[in-house]
Amino acid sequence: MRLFQKKDGGIVQLIDKEKMQEWPIELPLIFIEYIRSKQLDSYGDVKKQIEQYLEEILKDVAIPRFISVLEGDNADEIILALKRIEEISKKNIEMAKPIKKYLENLKRNKNKTILDLAGKVEENFAKANRRKELEKKRKIMQQMEKEFLEGKISGEEYAKSRKDYLLLKE
Amino acid sequence: MVKKEVIKNYDLKAAKNLLKMYIEQKHLQEVRNLPEDTIKIDDLNSKKTLERLYELNDSIIDKIYKNGRPSIELPSRASTNIIWDEENDLLLLGKQTMEKQFHSLTSVADITRLMRVLEVVNELLTEDIHATKREVFYTDVNLFGEQKASDKCIEDAATMLYTTRNSTHIVAAPKGTCVGRLRIRDRNDIIDLEGLGSGGWTISPMLDNIEIIESDAEFILVIEKDAAMMRLAEARFWRKHPCILITAQGVGNVAVRMFLKRLSKELSLPVFSLVDSDPYGHYIHSVYLRGSKRLSYESPFLATPNIKLLGVLTRDLDKYQIPQEVRIKMNKQDEKRTKDLLNEDFVKKNKKWEEDLKLALKQKVKAEIQAFASHGFKFLTDNYLPEKLSTGDWI
Repeated sequence: MRLFQKKDGGIVQLIDKEKMQEWPIELPLIFIEYIRSKQLDSYGDVKKQIEQYLEEILKDVAIPRFISVLEGDNADEIILALKRIEEISKKNIEMAKPIKKYLENLKRNKNKTILDLAGKVEENFAKANRRKELEKKRKIMQQMEKEFLEGKISGEEYAKSRKDYLLLKE
Repeated sequence: MVKKEVIKNYDLKAAKNLLKMYIEQKHLQEVRNLPEDTIKIDDLNSKKTLERLYELNDSIIDKIYKNGRPSIELPSRASTNIIWDEENDLLLLGKQTMEKQFHSLTSVADITRLMRVLEVVNELLTEDIHATKREVFYTDVNLFGEQKASDKCIEDAATMLYTTRNSTHIVAAPKGTCVGRLRIRDRNDIIDLEGLGSGGWTISPMLDNIEIIESDAEFILVIEKDAAMMRLAEARFWRKHPCILITAQGVGNVAVRMFLKRLSKELSLPVFSLVDSDPYGHYIHSVYLRGSKRLSYESPFLATPNIKLLGVLTRDLDKYQIPQEVRIKMNKQDEKRTKDLLNEDFVKKNKKWEEDLKLALKQKVKAEIQAFASHGFKFLTDNYLPEKLSTGDWI
């Protein structure tokens, strides 16, 4: 176990990343996501160190294991990996981000299932991107609304931005 | 007028100091080399256990070809072959062996049953599935007659293969529960033992599927009784005092003891036991501490030699002013059991333990953990346990 000692004498222990080499391919990512969302906030003064360790797991175990499968030529394994990536990307797109660039090569694959799954993952990336942009635009619109009501911008200017926002929303 | 309860704040200093020491000496806690005159067994994966099974089969076939009179040699599990290893504080199996002849009238029934169990083991390992001891009995009720016979063959099979019983994929029915600051992996699932309600997680006998993945606990508390576990679980004891709670409803079965051993070894945490203040409670503690005689061949994988007896000690009864009416008079059997314990080498070596058992014998009283309820239901969780863990009043 990897041990992290708190200043107050408390401890946090996480499984050694070496042990994760034997895990099912998607599990290291699920573990990282689990610790980040459910436990990390309770770790007090060792939170940063543990965040770094999770990054290490991501870089040294989780991603390389996916990549070795995606770059290999075993279609069944690639399909299984893509199915898991698709599930992960639906739940938390950030977790799937490091794998994005390896999807490009799969677009040339002749296997229909692989192409379909790679397409679905890409679609999830596109959706996440749209959500992000919309969020950004929403904030801008709120500001513009305020400025419009205060008479700081013209109605024309406001209407144009509103139209862009609605188009993106659709 | 209702008496106002004063809740003290305990720092659990003694338990924390012990944890600090364990962390600093992590490498020293490993089991040292076992004595030369004891047999060594391994905890194996399915593939390796199968290899050993095939080797055993080959040796039997060789004997058939050689002289037509095959036999099996296996370590004797008689009490004369059980050795207490003082250095590691473990009960181990010596090197005496026994031979079972295929052609002898006295052992033919026994060997047929044993072969049937080996056949079951082969099936379980090949299919990568597990079966309980009861299920094994039901594979051939007419042959085994009673479950005692199949259980004995299961233990024989494990010793013959020089491996743990769990490695044969024959497991006991789930019995114990665990709750607290621990996260585990069961194949593809992450299980949070803090988030399963007061009932906790039923310790899986299929421990080869279980992996410890995260914990912020600072000690482990093994509790003899369900009622006491329920009290601690309801109080969410682990929230105030980061810990892992385990109960086995009496003597821990193989799965509970093996799981505790793994927790203690992998997390390097102090382990304490909370048992009734009676000879049976002390016996339960001793089984966790150095293993049982029956399963002495598995002791290195089942015993937790650093477990401390936190309570209930005989001296606690006066110290915590347990009323006379909730103390129970020892009967003849209790006295005999206490004397038997006092004759054990591992008790003689531990002066504090010996003193407490002698005091019990002198006062001729025993008490259950629940006796603390005479001071209020929360006394156990708010006073007794925190105070003991703060002062280091354990054996």
